[in-house]
Amino acid sequence: MTKKRLNKLVGRVGGIKNLVLTPLASLWLLTLLLDIFTPGKIFSPLGYLYIAIGIVVLIYVVWPLYKSRRLVNYYWQRVKKNKLAVVGLGFILFLILLALLGPLFTADPTAVNFEEKNIPPVGFSVEESVYHAETGQFITKTASGTWGHPLGTDNKGRDLLAMLVSGAGVSLQVGLLATGIAVALGTLIGVVSAYLGGKVDNILMRFTDIMMTFPFFLLLVFIVFIFGPSLAFIVLVIGLTGWTGTARLIRSETLSLRTREFILAAKALGASDGRIVLAHLVPNVISLIVVIATLSIPGVILAEAALSFIGLGDPSVTSWGMILRAGQQSLDVTWWVAVVPGVMLFLTVLAFNFVGDGLRDAFDPRSNV
Amino acid sequence: MKEIILSVKDLKVRFFTRRGTVRAVDGISFDLLKGECLCLVGESGCGKTVTALSILGLIDSPPGKIVRGEILYDGLDLTKCPAERLRHIRGKEIAMIFQDAQSALNPVFTIGDQIVEQIRLHLEVSQQGARDRAIGLLKEVGIPSPGEVAGYYPHQLSGGMKQRAMIAMSLSCDPQLLIADEPTTAVDVTIKAQIIEILRRLKESRKMSIIFITHELGIVSEIGDRIVVMYAGRVAETAPASELLKNPKHPYTSGLIKCLPDITQAKERLESIPGTVPSLDNPPGGCLFNPRCNRAMAICRKEQPPPVKVNKEHSVFCHLY
Repeated sequence: MTKKRLNKLVGRVGGIKNLVLTPLASLWLLTLLLDIFTPGKIFSPLGYLYIAIGIVVLIYVVWPLYKSRRLVNYYWQRVKKNKLAVVGLGFILFLILLALLGPLFTADPTAVNFEEKNIPPVGFSVEESVYHAETGQFITKTASGTWGHPLGTDNKGRDLLAMLVSGAGVSLQVGLLATGIAVALGTLIGVVSAYLGGKVDNILMRFTDIMMTFPFFLLLVFIVFIFGPSLAFIVLVIGLTGWTGTARLIRSETLSLRTREFILAAKALGASDGRIVLAHLVPNVISLIVVIATLSIPGVILAEAALSFIGLGDPSVTSWGMILRAGQQSLDVTWWVAVVPGVMLFLTVLAFNFVGDGLRDAFDPRSNV
Repeated sequence: MKEIILSVKDLKVRFFTRRGTVRAVDGISFDLLKGECLCLVGESGCGKTVTALSILGLIDSPPGKIVRGEILYDGLDLTKCPAERLRHIRGKEIAMIFQDAQSALNPVFTIGDQIVEQIRLHLEVSQQGARDRAIGLLKEVGIPSPGEVAGYYPHQLSGGMKQRAMIAMSLSCDPQLLIADEPTTAVDVTIKAQIIEILRRLKESRKMSIIFITHELGIVSEIGDRIVVMYAGRVAETAPASELLKNPKHPYTSGLIKCLPDITQAKERLESIPGTVPSLDNPPGGCLFNPRCNRAMAICRKEQPPPVKVNKEHSVFCHLY
């Protein structure tokens, strides 16, 4: 009885997918409206992006993956042959756990404590000249690392581990959100452009060319100048300018797909243009999308780090670029402040690249390793 | 007198390419009766597929365009039908199956999902209802253990199975008219016989009209009620199947029939029609077949032949009669 009723409901809304999507999306819209019309903010703008992308990922990635477990298993067997990709995947999972669970165990990354400044990481010790007030002379003092601050502290006494954990969250947020926006936009523009062809194709691709030549850094400086530095703006600007490469790749792939007979067959059986784009073309380029997304995350993470490094980042969050910036000012004494986030950035970028390469090889039917 | 379900009148389709205008279909007319199987026969490039695509309004425009004529389906002119209305006719009332089922099925979805999608596009049924229906259709076209096959991807099926799945998909909304575009060309002989058998059975059980496009006259005798022989975008001869095969009037038709291998007689060489199909962007004057015709006369080079009635149902476009 209940099942019958559920089936009827599913039939009306159109699939379990939509049954989940509709309430989630309306919930999201409701919170957004509440947030706008009440004085107390519930989430930051970034929080909304997060929830929105989370819903999209749940519906269009997690659910289909769960439905085709056999296929996922098949590709996992292929990815598994590439050891570097597996290591990279492990590192990314570690990073996600660090960003999610880390803040529960570490101190406040912004807490300043001048009593405990310039402490090196555990296992290291540095010599420091300290002004002695009574004698009026500089004396040499040795400072060694303690377990209280496993990675040491910076020149304001902030715990480096806590900063690192916070930075991991920022990097992942920016990387995933900006890439999500860029890839979604790029895919849509690429597929529509290739499918409709003719004038639409020409206009969209010329627009892409213009966007490619547009200096996004300048735009970012401009936006920071007008609206003030905010992580949400940085994410939006990177996302709204970074889709061009994706659009071109997807377009060229779709151009060969759209002449295939199954597109004509879908039309002959009465599918609309929107349906052909979303239900026939996009699923056929999904492997390309996954690879492009994975390979463009490191670029976005580096872009955000670079922005923070030159002081255009959001000052209210501790990102890796910002720690680097703090560290390079006193590289001679507190070298670890710059080295630790630098190494983390290096490893993160490497890990995403390895996973991207592994996925590309796994999805490519020609490279039967 | 049986009811006419589809009537093509003086259809002209042109492709405006950079090298010139191609007259792919140049004024063809035919009527299709309810429950009848009409065969469009002709060589490659004679406009069979273009005719079929015109019926469904799927001619790519540009470069193609229906410049003249009407296609009346149920009293509605499909050439002037608004796009949205036409979309609801496609698949629901007029369905089409393609030559190469391998490329006509979407490689990333299972057979079952594709049929379910097709059903729910046109009919208001639940997911489960559509799934049951899909499995029923797969069973109807003779697929063993249809429940299991519904979960397979196209690449997991053999050519014959894919073609059957394609037929099941096109039947999903009980179409009045099925257009089969060389459905037996890409499969081997045993499968070919099975596909023909399935189509013949479906025609009987569902009282469905079929437009069967082929270049093999051998198949025509097995499934066709009536035959339209096309040559270079025009109709050469039209007659009931048995009559046309026994008593061909047009030199082209008799040429085609002579080309059929006959296993009862040992022949050194198979007969063939000399020459090739004329290029349609620069056709010869008069009867399009005259450069290849062994009975061509002076008038054939000057004038396009008018239809000549041989009897009530048999007409031929030739100056000989």
